[in-house]
Amino acid sequence: MLITSILFLANGASPWQAYFALFHEPFSTLRGFGYALVRASPLALIALGTIVSWRSGFMYLGFEGCFVIGAAATGWLALLTAPGSHIGPLPFFLFLPLAISVAFAAAGAWAGLVGLVRARLGGNEVLISLMSNYVAIFILQYLVSGPMRAPGSLPETPLLPRATWLPFILRGTRAHAGILIALGAAGLVWMLLEKMPLGYEMIVTGFNPFAARYAGIDVGRRLVLAGFLAGGLGGLAGMVEVLGSQHRLMDGISGGVGFVGIIVALLARLNPLAVIPTAFLYGGMSVGADAMQRRVSIPSSITFILESLAVLLVLACDALRYYKVNLSVLRRSSPRAVVEQVSK
Amino acid sequence: MIGAQLIGSAFLATWLSASLRLAGPVLLAALGETFAEQSGVLNVGIEGTILLGALASFLGSYYTGMVWISLLAAVLIGIIANIFLAWMYVTLRASQVVAGLVFNVLALGIASAVYRRAMGNSAVPESIAMFHPVHMRFLSNLPLIGPAIFGQTILFYLTLLLAFVGHFILYRTNFGLALRASGENPAAADSAGISVYRMRYAGTLISGAAAGMAGGYLVLAQVGLFRESIVSGQGFIALGIVIFGRWNPLKAAVAAMVFGACDALQLSLQIFGTHVPPQLLLALPYVVTILAISGLFGGKAVQPAALMSPYVKD
Repeated sequence: MLITSILFLANGASPWQAYFALFHEPFSTLRGFGYALVRASPLALIALGTIVSWRSGFMYLGFEGCFVIGAAATGWLALLTAPGSHIGPLPFFLFLPLAISVAFAAAGAWAGLVGLVRARLGGNEVLISLMSNYVAIFILQYLVSGPMRAPGSLPETPLLPRATWLPFILRGTRAHAGILIALGAAGLVWMLLEKMPLGYEMIVTGFNPFAARYAGIDVGRRLVLAGFLAGGLGGLAGMVEVLGSQHRLMDGISGGVGFVGIIVALLARLNPLAVIPTAFLYGGMSVGADAMQRRVSIPSSITFILESLAVLLVLACDALRYYKVNLSVLRRSSPRAVVEQVSK
Repeated sequence: MIGAQLIGSAFLATWLSASLRLAGPVLLAALGETFAEQSGVLNVGIEGTILLGALASFLGSYYTGMVWISLLAAVLIGIIANIFLAWMYVTLRASQVVAGLVFNVLALGIASAVYRRAMGNSAVPESIAMFHPVHMRFLSNLPLIGPAIFGQTILFYLTLLLAFVGHFILYRTNFGLALRASGENPAAADSAGISVYRMRYAGTLISGAAAGMAGGYLVLAQVGLFRESIVSGQGFIALGIVIFGRWNPLKAAVAAMVFGACDALQLSLQIFGTHVPPQLLLALPYVVTILAISGLFGGKAVQPAALMSPYVKD
């Protein structure tokens, strides 16, 4: 807070005024509140995906790609149900589960493949998932500029049929049911990791693959599962964004949300229940930052600085106090090393 | 027939020249990253460092009009930013991936805030002093390869030179040996009297300087203005090139040319209006990298053994 106050001062505005603008719009006006919810839903879903994979010792960074794949799958399905096309209109209560499963499965398979590579071949998932982001983004670019392009000058699909949109949940705002999906997902992830044997096995795999292997846990299979679930959650984020706020597919739909979601997860200290408030806070801040830019003319990119400094400070504090769950320690051994270790 | 040949050679000439032009900045960043990774640090923060370097060189050139000073500013900013990163990676032993990724977001925030502050909200891109392609009297006029090989900017030749120098330092000097030892087996290096911390700081700072310079390269020799999207993943491509080049500066140079060629092929094909979807070609380098690092071809064995694991001195 202190550091950002100095930043505000350097930009020639009073910190109080700036903070007021930053928090006034999203947290005390209904419209801003709605926008904050809209921004928070995909972030929360991606953060949940991060939690599932990272706590299982699988450092997946490809959420940008999963988001795009999920969005593309959803858009494809929604356009199929457009009036006059192959399937014809579906009632929403049928369409939504179908969309959820298609988006989840497509993005889950996308990320699960990386898990498979890590488990079977010992490839480095950090770099593979980073690269796979670009492949996914190019696939979307191809789709919206080729086969799925709407007539018109911009590379984007036609507007999705109205019947497939997520319902708005607050009168007079843009808030849509996506936040409910995110809430549900947070509950399920919490159940999985804290209450179910399977989740426990995944966490053990993350903490100590040797011990997990010794206890009879199939480490490779848990990794693939972690990748699948994480990717699926990233895909849901894409679905929520497409059906809830964009209502069409276009190039550049992800815009860095995959990385911001990871930051949200880190700020929530990889706790699934803390994700929702953190994502809401972040969504609110990014709405407030736009307001701030209009009012006191401070560039809205200052939220990037604020957020990343917060994470870096958390990291630094942890390291300085020497009690942190060090993620890189979890990663030191690949499953192949585990097998070697066990067979010795 | 002659027409087709003319188009063919024009196509080849533009393609070659664009390949080398596009390969330059990523190669520079990849060379630095090779040093960081050989010392045991996966510096994901070069993406953000390139952006800061680009901004520094743009502002430098805008205010002073002198290209070499701007390039120096980019290098300095890269080093300063990476002192912070090295402190996170080495001294605090924070997770290298997390610290690097978050730093990229931080750098994006800083760069766009500073740019807005310096330039105001004027939408008109300002023109700045840039490096110009060299022109060698006879060589540049050679058909086909003339403009491609002998018509680049001085920075390109400097980068190529640095690839050879980097290779020499890494494999032929005591410093290079100590650096590689810190990445391969830090405990053994430590007992041999090498300061692992110092080597890792050195590796990270070298990658910072190179990434900053790569940013300067982008602005001063290619784009000529600053945008927040100017880097758009080139730092990550550099990470791929390092792996593709098997952590060797000279092989990295070849890998960078392959990447540049794929990128340029898509540009040239668009100019000549073929029907291959350009995204297919754009995605090609990434797919190739994924295959190269997936472990299918034994890529795991060449990786510095202690990459990404922080060293705790007992």
